[in-house]
Amino acid sequence: MSQAESHKQDGPATAEGWKLLRSVLREQRRGLMQGVVIGLIWSAGKVAIPQLFKLGVDRGIEQDGSLLFWAGAITCVGVVAGVFSAWRRWIGFRESRWTESSLRERIFTHLQGLHIGYHDIAQTGQLMSRASSDLGQIQGFVVMIPLTISNVAMVVAVMLILLSSQPMLAVIALAPLPFVNLAARRFSNSIHPAILAVQAEQAELANVVEESVSGIRVVKGFGAEATQMRKLEKEANDIRGVSLGAAKIRSKFLPGIDLLPSIGLIAVLGIGGHRVINGQMSVGDLVAFNTYLTMLIWPLRNIGMTVAFGQRAAAALMRVNEVLSTEPAVADPPKPQALPSRTSSAFTGAVTFSDVSFGYSAEHEVLNHLDLVIQPGESVAIVGATGSGKSTLARLLLRFYDTSSGGITLDGIDIRQLRLSELRRAVAVVFEDTLLFHDTVAANIAFAEPNAHQDRIEAAARLAGAHDFILELPDGYNTVLGERGYSLSGGQRQRIAIARAIVADPRVLVLDDATSAVDPAKENEIREAMTTVMRGRTTLVIAHRPATIALASKVALLDEGRIVAFGEHSHLLATNAKYGEVLAAQEKNIASLTSKTAGD
Amino acid sequence: MWGGGAVSAEDRVSRDEARTLMRRTLAMAAPFRKTMLAALACVIAVTLCTLAGPVLVRHGIDAGIRAKNTRSLNFSVVAYIAVTCIAYCFGRAQYIFINRAGEDLLRVLRLRVFSQMQKQSMAFYDREKAGVLVARMTADIESMSELVQWGLLQFISAGFLLVLAVILLFTLSWQLTIVALLVMPIIFVASIKFQRDSNKAYLDVRERVGANLSALQEGITGVRVIQAYAREEEQVRRFRASNDALYKSHMHSVKVSMWYFGLVEFAGIFASALIVGMGGWLVHRGSVSVGTVVAFVLLLANLFDPVQQLSQLYNTMQSAGAALKKLYGIMDAVPEVDESISAVDLPEHGDLVVSGATFTYAAGAQPALRDVSISVPNGKRLALVGPTGAGKSTLAKLMARLYDPNEGSISYSGVNLRDATMQSLRERIVVVPQEGFLFNGTIRENLRIAKSDATDVEIDNALHALGVFERFMAFPQGLDTEVHERGSRLSAGERQLVSLARAALVDPAVLVLDEATSNLDPGTEKDVEAALEALMQGRSVVVVAHRLTTVQRADAIGVVDHAELVEWGTHSELVQKNGKYAALVNAWNASQPTR
Repeated sequence: MSQAESHKQDGPATAEGWKLLRSVLREQRRGLMQGVVIGLIWSAGKVAIPQLFKLGVDRGIEQDGSLLFWAGAITCVGVVAGVFSAWRRWIGFRESRWTESSLRERIFTHLQGLHIGYHDIAQTGQLMSRASSDLGQIQGFVVMIPLTISNVAMVVAVMLILLSSQPMLAVIALAPLPFVNLAARRFSNSIHPAILAVQAEQAELANVVEESVSGIRVVKGFGAEATQMRKLEKEANDIRGVSLGAAKIRSKFLPGIDLLPSIGLIAVLGIGGHRVINGQMSVGDLVAFNTYLTMLIWPLRNIGMTVAFGQRAAAALMRVNEVLSTEPAVADPPKPQALPSRTSSAFTGAVTFSDVSFGYSAEHEVLNHLDLVIQPGESVAIVGATGSGKSTLARLLLRFYDTSSGGITLDGIDIRQLRLSELRRAVAVVFEDTLLFHDTVAANIAFAEPNAHQDRIEAAARLAGAHDFILELPDGYNTVLGERGYSLSGGQRQRIAIARAIVADPRVLVLDDATSAVDPAKENEIREAMTTVMRGRTTLVIAHRPATIALASKVALLDEGRIVAFGEHSHLLATNAKYGEVLAAQEKNIASLTSKTAGD
Repeated sequence: MWGGGAVSAEDRVSRDEARTLMRRTLAMAAPFRKTMLAALACVIAVTLCTLAGPVLVRHGIDAGIRAKNTRSLNFSVVAYIAVTCIAYCFGRAQYIFINRAGEDLLRVLRLRVFSQMQKQSMAFYDREKAGVLVARMTADIESMSELVQWGLLQFISAGFLLVLAVILLFTLSWQLTIVALLVMPIIFVASIKFQRDSNKAYLDVRERVGANLSALQEGITGVRVIQAYAREEEQVRRFRASNDALYKSHMHSVKVSMWYFGLVEFAGIFASALIVGMGGWLVHRGSVSVGTVVAFVLLLANLFDPVQQLSQLYNTMQSAGAALKKLYGIMDAVPEVDESISAVDLPEHGDLVVSGATFTYAAGAQPALRDVSISVPNGKRLALVGPTGAGKSTLAKLMARLYDPNEGSISYSGVNLRDATMQSLRERIVVVPQEGFLFNGTIRENLRIAKSDATDVEIDNALHALGVFERFMAFPQGLDTEVHERGSRLSAGERQLVSLARAALVDPAVLVLDEATSNLDPGTEKDVEAALEALMQGRSVVVVAHRLTTVQRADAIGVVDHAELVEWGTHSELVQKNGKYAALVNAWNASQPTR
C-alpha cells in the first residue's frame, strides 16, 4: 500500500533520495568496484564452462582427445567460479551492510540533534522504521548492485556468443527470455502489496489477541469469551482470504517464470537438431547452446528483481532523506558566549523571562507576554491550573523550543547566545514522567557525568532518598534497569531522576512535580532532602499539587499565559482569590488512603 | 539469504516429538484431506514433467539427431512442448491447492488455540506473560505460514525430485550415476555444517538486531532527557557500539554462508567435469551414448538443487515444529476453574459466604489467603482494606470465582460457587476492574462486551441508570464513536464510566469493585462517584477500598493483613478497637498535606 502511494510521489523527492544514495555510495566506490571486478571474473568463469564442455564433447568424446585434460580444465574453472562466487557475495554484503550501518548511524545522530518540536510531531514507530525496515530495503538493493552489474555483463557475453555461433537459432531461442525478466519484475511488484496486506491482517489479529489477553479480567468477568472468539474468527478468515490472494498471484506468475525458458530449449532442440542432421552444426555446439541458454535464466530473473527492489529502495530512500534533510530549528549560535564563571562568593543562576510569548502551534498561544525574574539562589513554585503552561516554562528555559517573542536570560546572557550544551549543563530538569535508560542504577544517576565517582553517585542517591532501596536491589548500584532490566516503581524511578539532577550540579534546578509518584511517608523524607539540595541553588518547582509548594520559598501564580501574582504562599493565600481556587481544585485530587498499589 | 528462521537449542524438537506433532497436525488437517491430496497430485505431476524434459532431450539427440531420424526428433520436440504445457497447468494448480490446505490449517489452528486460551482460568494468565501468549497466536503461527506457503510444497517436490532423479540416472547409466554421486557427500556434509553455523549466526544476528532496535528506541523516546542533559554525543557513541556490533554479526553470518554457496557452485561444476571425463571414457568403450552424457549433465541440476533446498528447509521445519510444540502446549492446558457437570443456576438473591478459604497462587508458594471466613449479607456493603499485597484483592477475586480456593468454600445463597453454572455466576456476581479497560471498536461495542445480546434500549437504560447517558451522547457519533487504540479517545474517568455501565447492563446481585488508586480530574471524579453510588444501590457490594470515604460508607469492614483476616466489624467498632484499622486511619490522616 505504502508502495502504491510512493509511486504517486513526485519526481524531485525521489531524485533527492537517489542523490543521497549516490553520495553514500561514492564513499564506497572502491569496494563496489572491487565487487564488480570479482563478479566479472566469476561471470567469465561461468561463461567459459559450457564452452569447455562443448570442446570436451566435440574433441574429447567425439574425437579421441585427452579426456583428462578437458575434465581438469572444467574443474579448474569450477574452482575459480566457486572462489569468486564466495568472494563476490562477501563484498556485496560487506558494502551493502556498510551502507545500511552508516546511514543508520547518520539517522540516529541527526535525530539526537533535532529540536524537540520535531520529536513532538514525529511518531517513534515511524522513526524506528526509517532506521530499520527502510534501511533494510536500501540494503537489499545495494547488495544486488555488484551482482547485477556482473549479471548484465554475463548476459551480454552469452548473447554475443550465441549470436556469433548460430545467429538464427539464437534469435529464436532468446525470444522468450525478455519475458522472464518482465514477468519477474511484474511478479515482484504485485506480490509486494499482497504481502503487505497479509501483514496488515496479521497485525489486526494480533490486536484482538492482545486486547483479549490484557483485558482478560473484563473478558472473564463478563463471560465475553464468545464475543472475542467471533472477532478473532473474522480476523482469521481475513488472513486466510488475503493469503489466498497472494497465492493466486504466485500461481499466476511463478510457473510461467519457471517454464518460459523451456520454450527456448525446445526451439533449440527442434531447429538445432535438424541443423545437426543436415550437418550445419555439431552435437557439441547444440549442447553448448542449450547450456548457455539455461545460464541466462537466473541472471535475467535476477535483473528483473533488482529493478523492482530499486523501486522500493527509491521510496525508502526518499523517506530516509526526509529525516536527514530536516534542519534542527534550535541550534548553537554562530558565535556563542560563555556563562560567567561560578565563584563561591556570588550565587549564580539568575533567570529572567522578559515579555515571553510562546505557543506550540501558531493558533494557540500558551504564554502571553510573560515576565518573571528569579534571583540567584531563590526557589520559586509555579502554580497554575492544568494546562496553564507551567511545564512550558521549563521547556523554554532548556531551549527545547524558542520563544516566539521576548527573551530568556541566564546570569545575564540571552540563552540563545549560549552553546546548547553549556545551557543544558547549567539547567537540570526532573521531568514529570521519568525516563530511565537500559543501564545500571549508577550509570543512570551519573547520566550527566559518566565519570562521576561512586561516592558522588551515592551521595546524590542519599540526598534523593534513593540510597536505601537501591541497596536492596538484586545488584545494588549495578542493577540494570529499563525495558529489559529490573523495573522500579514510579516513586523509585522519580527518586533516581532526582539523584540524576543532583549529580549534574546545575545552576538552575527545575522540579516538574518531582514527588508526584512518591508515597506520603517518603514524600516528607524527600522534601527534607530537597531542601538541602536546593539551598543556595536557583530552583523552579512546577507544582501540580499543593504539597509540593512547600518546597519553595516564593510562589508565582500562572494564569492565562502570564504571572498574575508573585510572593509568599501565606501572603498569596490571604490576598489572591484565584490562588485559593487553583489550590482547592488540586486538593481534590489527593485522597489516597494507602500508598500506590499495583494490582495488589 | 537462506530459508527459514532459526531455533535455539532448547526449542529443538526430538524425533519422537516430531512424530507426535505430525500425527496431531494431520488429524487436525483431516477435514481438508481432499485439498491436500489434490495438492500432492499436482506436485507429483509437476515433478514428473520436470524430469521428463532432459529425458526427451536425450531421446532427441540419440534417437533423432545422431541416428539422423527426423521423426524421432520431431516426436521429442512435440512431446517436450506437451510436457511443458501440462507442467504449467499443474504448476498453477499446485500453488492454489497447497495454499488453500495450508491456510485452512492455520485458520483452524488460530481458532483452536485462541478458544483454548480463553477457556483458561485467571491463574493461567497470572503465570503466563501477556507478551508470550500474544506471540503464540502471532509469531508462532506465522512462523508456520512460510512452511505452508511454499516450504511444504518445496519439501515434497524436492524430496520427490531427488528420488526420481536418482532412479532415472541409474536407469540411464549406473556407472555415471555413481560418478555423479561422488560429490554428494561433499554437499551433504557442507549443508549440515552450514545449517548448524548459520542457525547460530542467525540467532546472533537476531539478538543484535533486537539490541540495536532497543538502543534506537531508547535514543528516540529518551531524546528529551538526553538533550536536557546535553548527552547527545555519549548517546551516539553508545548507539554506534550496538550498530557496529550488529554490522560485525551480519558479516559473520555472511562468512558462514559465502563459502557454502561457493562450494556448492564448485561441486556442481566439478560433477559435470567428472561426467565429461568418465562419460567420455565410457563412450569410447561404447557402454554409454553421447546423448546419455548430455542428459546427465542436464539432470545433474535436478540432483543438486533438491539437496540444497532440503537442507535449507530443515531450519524452517525445525522452527515450525518448535512453534507447533508450544501451541499444542496451550491446547493441552486444562482450565483450573471449570463448570462442573451437574452445575445449577445460582439463586437470584442471597448471602455471599466465605468459609475457611485458603488459597495459594502457585503450588509451593506462600498462601495468599489463610483460613478466611467472612460474609456479605444480601444487599450489604463490605469494604476490604489492608497494606499492598496483603491479600484483599485476592479475597475479592475468590468471591467472584476468578479462582477456586484450595481449601474451604465460597457460597452464594447456600450454593457452592463450584457447583454453579458459569453463565449464572457471571450474571449474579460482576467484577468491575480498577481501570476501565476498553477494546477496539465503538463505545456501544465496548458496552456489549458485558452482554452480547443487549438491545440498544437496554444499553441506553443502563447509561440512564448511572446518570451518564448525556455525557456519552455528547461524543461526535454518540455511542457509535470509535474509542481508538485502547480507548485513547476517552479520558481515564470516561473509561471507568464505561466499565461501570457494563456492570449496570448485566444488572448483577453482587458487585465486586477494586477501587481506582489513580487520580482523576475533579469534574470527572464527581461523575464517577455518582455513577458508582447509583450502581451500588440495592446490590451486595464487596469493595477493595483505598479511600477513607468509601470505607466509612460500608456496612462492614474487613482488614486483611499477611494473608489473614485480622479484623472485621463496622468503622466505629474498629476505630474503638485501636488495632490495625485504627493505625491505617491515622496514617491516612498524617499523609494529608499540611497547610
